[in-house]
Amino acid sequence: MKLHGAFSEFAGGARSASVDAADVGGALAALVARHPSLAERLRDEHGLLRPHVNIFANDEDMRYLQGERTALRDGDTVHVVPAVSGGEGDRWPEA
Amino acid sequence: MARGVMVLLGTKKGVYAFRSGAARERWRAEGPHFPGQVVYHVAFDHRDGRSLYAGINNTWGGPRIELSRDLGKTWQTAKNPAFPKHDDRTFSRTWHIEPGHASEPDVLWAGVEPASLFKSSDRGETWQPVSALNDHPERKYWNPGGGGLGLHSIAVDAADPKMVTIGISAAGVYETKDGGASWTRANEGTGSPLPPQPEGDFGCVHHLVGSPTVPGARFQQNHTGMYFKDGGERRWTNVTKGLPTDYGFASAIHPRDPKTAYVFPLEFPMRMSPAATGAAVWRTRDRGKSWTKHANGLPRASRYEVMREGLATDRLDPAGVYFGTTNGEIWGSADEGRSWSLIAQHLPPILSVETATL
Repeated sequence: MKLHGAFSEFAGGARSASVDAADVGGALAALVARHPSLAERLRDEHGLLRPHVNIFANDEDMRYLQGERTALRDGDTVHVVPAVSGGEGDRWPEA
Repeated sequence: MARGVMVLLGTKKGVYAFRSGAARERWRAEGPHFPGQVVYHVAFDHRDGRSLYAGINNTWGGPRIELSRDLGKTWQTAKNPAFPKHDDRTFSRTWHIEPGHASEPDVLWAGVEPASLFKSSDRGETWQPVSALNDHPERKYWNPGGGGLGLHSIAVDAADPKMVTIGISAAGVYETKDGGASWTRANEGTGSPLPPQPEGDFGCVHHLVGSPTVPGARFQQNHTGMYFKDGGERRWTNVTKGLPTDYGFASAIHPRDPKTAYVFPLEFPMRMSPAATGAAVWRTRDRGKSWTKHANGLPRASRYEVMREGLATDRLDPAGVYFGTTNGEIWGSADEGRSWSLIAQHLPPILSVETATL
């Protein structure tokens, strides 16, 4: 697992972790077990992945694969990447 | 004897703090904490004198509440407020964090979006939904204001820990007298920017505050003007006459005198200080019978935007008053609003101002 940008900070500065998992969902679960502070940063209270996080299995966005059911093989790399869409889109507390 | 004051800013790009002695003449900057992250509100816990709570609404990693037990030197992340599993709502932003009554030192309240109230009984480490309000039968009539459907104001009564008043945009004011087990709409007298609705008088409270020392005293800036309400009163009293506009967001009440309140009028739809009067804090000392413009020290004919949490008082005597602007200026008055000096400028847009009297 490779943690990028804000998600490395949310994991206390960790930038990588080795986990045993058969698919992307399993890898994310193992990552959260290793770094519990990531649990609410990756998913909302209903278990859905937050909209501004991108998960790549090797070089491919998991959205274009089988999502969290994307199978992994020994040596694959899963990237957790903050979306470029984050940040500037924050609304202000207007009326 | 208070040693000084800390002015806490929630900004578009982190938490800033400014410390001063009781004279409030020289200020030392701290921060930013959480640089680059949108912070709607920073609260200080007057009960323990050292805890801070920050409502961070970040797209990356989602919203969260951070708490500090050492006035901001170190922080830890709270367990998020969470809607129940079967609920179709998702915690999306924290608007306001309010320490509970002095007799309940572990209790805090958090107003969030979508408009809901959460309560903590462990000093902010975990949060539980206040279902009687969050699932109120009238919830279907609540509509989002320009910034969303947020519960942005919480006032805990000075004497009765079970009496809490909250404000939702746009639904209005609700009160509980039983610690949150039941809630009653309390908009009587405030009017609405919308035509009368058969479902009831749902209003658009912009900011509501309660006196920290006088039981029952409430003050609000509404979309339709300024209003006072004392303990035992059913109706809000409109006290807008004498102000340059009936519009604005920021409002504050004096820490000891419930007849003294402060507002920062804006002009609709610009959301800036009125062109005719310029930027000023307006103060009443007689519960709204009269208002006085206070701009001594402010740039002449300037026009500022101040957000709903952008005006606050400290608890020193004489009381300090502070306002923060969306162009990144924080102004302070050490003489109850009569004169103003610039504490800092070139900050990120300021979304909230709170004080810690140390």
